[in-house]
Amino acid sequence: MYKISEELKDKIMFVNRVLLDKYEEVLSMDRESLRSYINSQVGPILKIEKFTEEELKKYTKVGGIIGVDGSKNRIGGAYPHFIEVFQGLAKSTLHKEEPVYKVDFYTPLYTELEEPNLLEEDTERDEKISNKKLASIEVDAALEGIKKFDPYAVMMDGSLIRYKIVCSEKWQELKEECERRNIILVGVIKDIKTSIIRDSLKEDNYLKEECFYDRELLYGLLDYGEVIFTNIETKKEKRGFASLFMRSSQSPAVIGMDILKSQQSYLLEMARLVFTLTPQSSRGVPLWMDIIDSEVKIPDQMIKGFLESYLDRRIFEMLFISERDKRTM
Amino acid sequence: MKVVGITTQQEVYVGSKDRNFRINEFLIIVDPYQGDLIGEVVEARTYNKYIPLNLSGELADSSVLQSLKAIGYNVEEDTIYLAKVRLLNEALYPVQAGSDVRVPDFHEVKDFMINCSADQGLILGVIKNTDQMADNMDQEYKDLLYTFEDGKLKEQKEIPYIFNIKSMNQYPHIGIFGGSGSGKSFGLRVMLEEMMNLNIPTIVLDPHFEMDFSEVVDYLSEDKRVDYTDKFKCLQVGVDVGVRFEDLSHQDLKNLLDASSPLTDAMSNVVDILFKRKDSYNSFYNRVKMLAEAQEEGSIDRINRRIEESTTDLERQGWLKRREIYLNYDKSCPYSSVRGILWRVNRLYNEGIFNNDIRKIEEGLSQGKLMVIQGSTRILQVFSTYLLNNLYHKRREYKDAQFNKNTVEYFPPFVVVTDEAHNFAPKGYECPSKSILKEISQEGRKYGVFLMLATQRPTLLDETITAQLNTKLIFRTVRGSDIATIKEETDITEEEARRLPYLKTGDVFISESARGRTIFARIRAANTASPHTENPFDELKGRIEEEDNKFFLMIKDKLPINGDDFINVIKEIEGETGRTYTIDSFEELLNNLVEKGYIIKEKTPFFNVYKEK
Repeated sequence: MYKISEELKDKIMFVNRVLLDKYEEVLSMDRESLRSYINSQVGPILKIEKFTEEELKKYTKVGGIIGVDGSKNRIGGAYPHFIEVFQGLAKSTLHKEEPVYKVDFYTPLYTELEEPNLLEEDTERDEKISNKKLASIEVDAALEGIKKFDPYAVMMDGSLIRYKIVCSEKWQELKEECERRNIILVGVIKDIKTSIIRDSLKEDNYLKEECFYDRELLYGLLDYGEVIFTNIETKKEKRGFASLFMRSSQSPAVIGMDILKSQQSYLLEMARLVFTLTPQSSRGVPLWMDIIDSEVKIPDQMIKGFLESYLDRRIFEMLFISERDKRTM
Repeated sequence: MKVVGITTQQEVYVGSKDRNFRINEFLIIVDPYQGDLIGEVVEARTYNKYIPLNLSGELADSSVLQSLKAIGYNVEEDTIYLAKVRLLNEALYPVQAGSDVRVPDFHEVKDFMINCSADQGLILGVIKNTDQMADNMDQEYKDLLYTFEDGKLKEQKEIPYIFNIKSMNQYPHIGIFGGSGSGKSFGLRVMLEEMMNLNIPTIVLDPHFEMDFSEVVDYLSEDKRVDYTDKFKCLQVGVDVGVRFEDLSHQDLKNLLDASSPLTDAMSNVVDILFKRKDSYNSFYNRVKMLAEAQEEGSIDRINRRIEESTTDLERQGWLKRREIYLNYDKSCPYSSVRGILWRVNRLYNEGIFNNDIRKIEEGLSQGKLMVIQGSTRILQVFSTYLLNNLYHKRREYKDAQFNKNTVEYFPPFVVVTDEAHNFAPKGYECPSKSILKEISQEGRKYGVFLMLATQRPTLLDETITAQLNTKLIFRTVRGSDIATIKEETDITEEEARRLPYLKTGDVFISESARGRTIFARIRAANTASPHTENPFDELKGRIEEEDNKFFLMIKDKLPINGDDFINVIKEIEGETGRTYTIDSFEELLNNLVEKGYIIKEKTPFFNVYKEK
């Protein structure tokens, strides 16, 4: 039996109370009035249909769809004694036997980059480099996939904005390539972190509280197969993207999608495609993205095995084995 | 195909991306250090990481899989196949992970599959899932048999299962287990057909009257049919065969009576005292009866008075005889026991056991025939006790005499076969047929007498005997206690035991001590049919139709029949066929024909008219 600390229990009950208080406003909001508000101020709520099999067959003729995802494994202990391995994957629905893999690594013990910025904390810089590497490797994979397969569309795991922020140079290359070759580039966002609707509500004085995200507001708001095409001027728009929210499965959570502004006319088509590929009883993510996700992931055990085999034992033990790794209890 | 995961000396997992595995399939593992290792698939699985079993609800529904397929990605192709393979012979070291695996060639597995030539063994069926290895099989083993699959006759594609009957000399006795409808009796039939093919002297105790081999099946083509008419004989106890009373020893008689219903010690004593060697049934019966009658009188004085009061000489003689018997035996034979013996002897006599003798059986065996002894279970219990004792000891005497260099008439080795063996050798209580079966099970091998025991309840079969069954055919078994017994008594594995309740009819695990492992086989299509195969409900239907037809033919030329004219028609029919009907029952039968559409009924203001259709 575990001994449950009384204090822990009290703290959790406290958290519950605080959150309930905070979200009371959201929870008590009338679903219909919120929907009509969104309809008029944020963008139309539309119901979309799945593609038929015949319609889908079209994609096999125009080059198929590429899915892109990345993964990150971290082995070792605290800063700077760790190593991160990144892997990016671009996989075409048509050429399943020849996926494009890209690999990179990062360890604070070896920096190939510019002089460290002294204003930043070490860990903060780490985080930044790590994110940049991951995003870059995904973009690299996407670029090579495009060259290799000449697809109809590229589906990225996560928001396109992220690439623009984190690795703008690479992103520019990808964007231009896609626009030049007329390849649709779309991001599928499992965890939306935007606050478009929140901001809009606040502007119109519907909400007092500060820290609401669209995620909470949209939870359970849409019906299965409904999308919101956001047409208000958001920060995103300024950066050249169009986006939407969609409830793609029976799960009440909502996913997001974004697309290049220049390709906005394809947004509905892509939304229908994502909706078609999402199992009704799933978390809302297209099965295709789940497949890419599971293929790009490398088990920690395997990475460890690689490092053990190919790193000098002295180096490995000295640098990357933390005290925690040796603990047996 | 490659060896994957953690391996041991006995078991490995084999994975494949494109080839599904079959249970009981043989595979060769090419271990780079230990050479080729042969193994058998004991568990087969498939797995697709994108279609997981997730009870919390997340499930890739078929429409999405279909959609993915439509845009060019077939998730089903990501299925992987996994097999657990058990090595036939333990390896020296754990198998090298990553070793290649391939399907063996016939000659590489021949020694594991076949240990006797096709003309010297019992060709019982095929070894399942061996078709891939059978391609370059020796001609000798091809086209030996047919199997039935889903009601259709199929040519042999697999390696045949041939039971090496000669191995019985080292590993005697066969057990056949399986619930009703599992193919057990049918398997027994095939075994017996094969025994006849080899002319092995065999006695079959047949309580179901089903081991008749005269009906040749029609599904085999003319040239494949086998005629067994000269190779077997059905004999009914009490009609064709019986016990010759004059040949009985004290022990035989006691066994017989005991099998009828158990004897007390006192009764057994009565038989010892009253039965004389060479007694005929009548002489023995009269002696017992007279003693009983004398004892009913109660005292010597009263018997004396009966002698004095006798009116005829015959009666006097009778009572004098009774007095003599009374004086000799009354003290040692209590009245109730005498009555008990009298009742038992009488019962056996009425059942006809003392008609005839076992000469026919002995002759048949000498000619290498299959002798089917039919009778109710109880009668067979009684008769088999006597019969087996007799034959077994004849064979034994011959062998012993041979050993002692005496000359005794030749008596052949033979096989004793019985269905419902638990009735003849039950566990837990004594029964005369059990002691002889037990003796044969323990010593029969020395004398060339073997048992083939079929039962649906192995748990109820005497354990000493079960332990002596060196070969076991195990058909579908559902009862937990029987599966437990089978697990205990055979080398069947946990995985195989779990499959027992789900075996198809005719599929069988064969556990042979001679091979030291279990083979999964399918019994071949029989050459002959059981006489009981007609469905009783079909029989009923046929019977009713026959009756209707018969009646219709009788009245056909009398049509039309007027409702006021029944009496004359009935008289006519009575004259022609001798059958008579009342007016009511006649009308009822006519209406029945109307209902079934043979004739039609027309109503007129006065009466009904029955007309031809």
